[in-house]
Amino acid sequence: MMDPATLLAVLETTLSQADADVVESAITGKDLIKAGALMGAGICMGFGAIGPGIGEGFAAGKACEAIGRAPEEAGLLTRTMLIGQAVSESTGIYSLVVALLMLFVVGV
Amino acid sequence: MDITPETWNYIGRYVGASLALGLGGLGAAIGMGMAGAEANRAMMKQPSKHSDLLRTMLLGQAVGGSPSIFALVVGLLILFLPVNESTSGMVFASTLIGAGLAVGLGCFGSGVGCGFPAAQACSGVARNPKKSTALTSTMMIGQALAQSPSIFATIVALILLFLPTPSVGIASAGIAIAAGLSMGASALGPGLGSGITAGGAVKGQSDWPQSRSITVRTMMIGQAICDTPAIFGMLVSFIMLFTLQDLEVSIIGFSKVMAAAIAVGIGGIGPGIGCGIVSETSCEASAKKPEHDALMLRTMLIGQAVSQSTAIYALIIALVILFVV
Repeated sequence: MMDPATLLAVLETTLSQADADVVESAITGKDLIKAGALMGAGICMGFGAIGPGIGEGFAAGKACEAIGRAPEEAGLLTRTMLIGQAVSESTGIYSLVVALLMLFVVGV
Repeated sequence: MDITPETWNYIGRYVGASLALGLGGLGAAIGMGMAGAEANRAMMKQPSKHSDLLRTMLLGQAVGGSPSIFALVVGLLILFLPVNESTSGMVFASTLIGAGLAVGLGCFGSGVGCGFPAAQACSGVARNPKKSTALTSTMMIGQALAQSPSIFATIVALILLFLPTPSVGIASAGIAIAAGLSMGASALGPGLGSGITAGGAVKGQSDWPQSRSITVRTMMIGQAICDTPAIFGMLVSFIMLFTLQDLEVSIIGFSKVMAAAIAVGIGGIGPGIGCGIVSETSCEASAKKPEHDALMLRTMLIGQAVSQSTAIYALIIALVILFVV
């Protein structure tokens, strides 16, 4: 396992060898922080969207099943479904907030 | 160590082809296995129906195998695509890896997804052998629609292979991999979800064959909505391929496209599967009680819309990463 400094040096040489006239400056610490914030936001929102998506699907699926069995209770069941989904959505919203924080507050 | 452009080309070919065929073949194999297992279980219960069951299983496996054929075609193209001297090197290698990621991940989802309707059709034919023709045709409609995410993925892979990449030097290496990842990963969930939906519809129809038209209609609406995350992913990969002509050539530019791809790609998996679970039960319920069809459709659409919201957050974050920050 290379240490970060060597890794950076190798990356820089590869970049400059590959396209010498376009890369004009070396990678600075500030660039790395910004790049980390961007990747963090992407990973946060991407993986954070898996759970709520599947979870809300379960809630709505069971609601559909229940309404199929007892259509006269549709109002109550839809309300319960929406409350369940809203709670399940909360982690998706946390991911969204954290991603926006990384993009606009931390990574500047 | 000296890495020539030639070396990069070989790295790209081998990694790209193995991603395409490894992942794409894996999905279809799981799907075919599900169909085969269910056919065996049904045959054990009803040995007299073996010829009907065998036909249904083979049809389901043949149609469900087409995502792996897409993967095979793209994989062979990746291996044998002629390289022209000006593009040879790291950028060419990454277009090959991007195409492999797109078609591999995209065909994985559809391949597994096509197994659900095939398995349900086998158990349905055993229960109700007289209705096997209608059941098989519903199965094939469902499988064809479940393959649309893998077709999107194949289109993006072919665009990556045959159209010139944006000429932003080394940054277009990042663009190519990111475009492939965003398309491939975002097609995975919708492929699975559409397949789960088709499975529910086939199950519903095998239990209540008289409400077939309503079941098929609910299935098609549900599958169309399941595909939305894949369309978001395709949109982002087109944006990357065709509009990012001024991406900065630095670690920031590279992480911009990768982060947007991870957000919209991985973010599309959950909503795709979730929407599939919703429309699966909705198909079964409207097959059972066709008179409450409008109510079921309404509940399904509300549930899918809420489940879809996280995919929309992911799209927003990807666009913010690409254009605002």
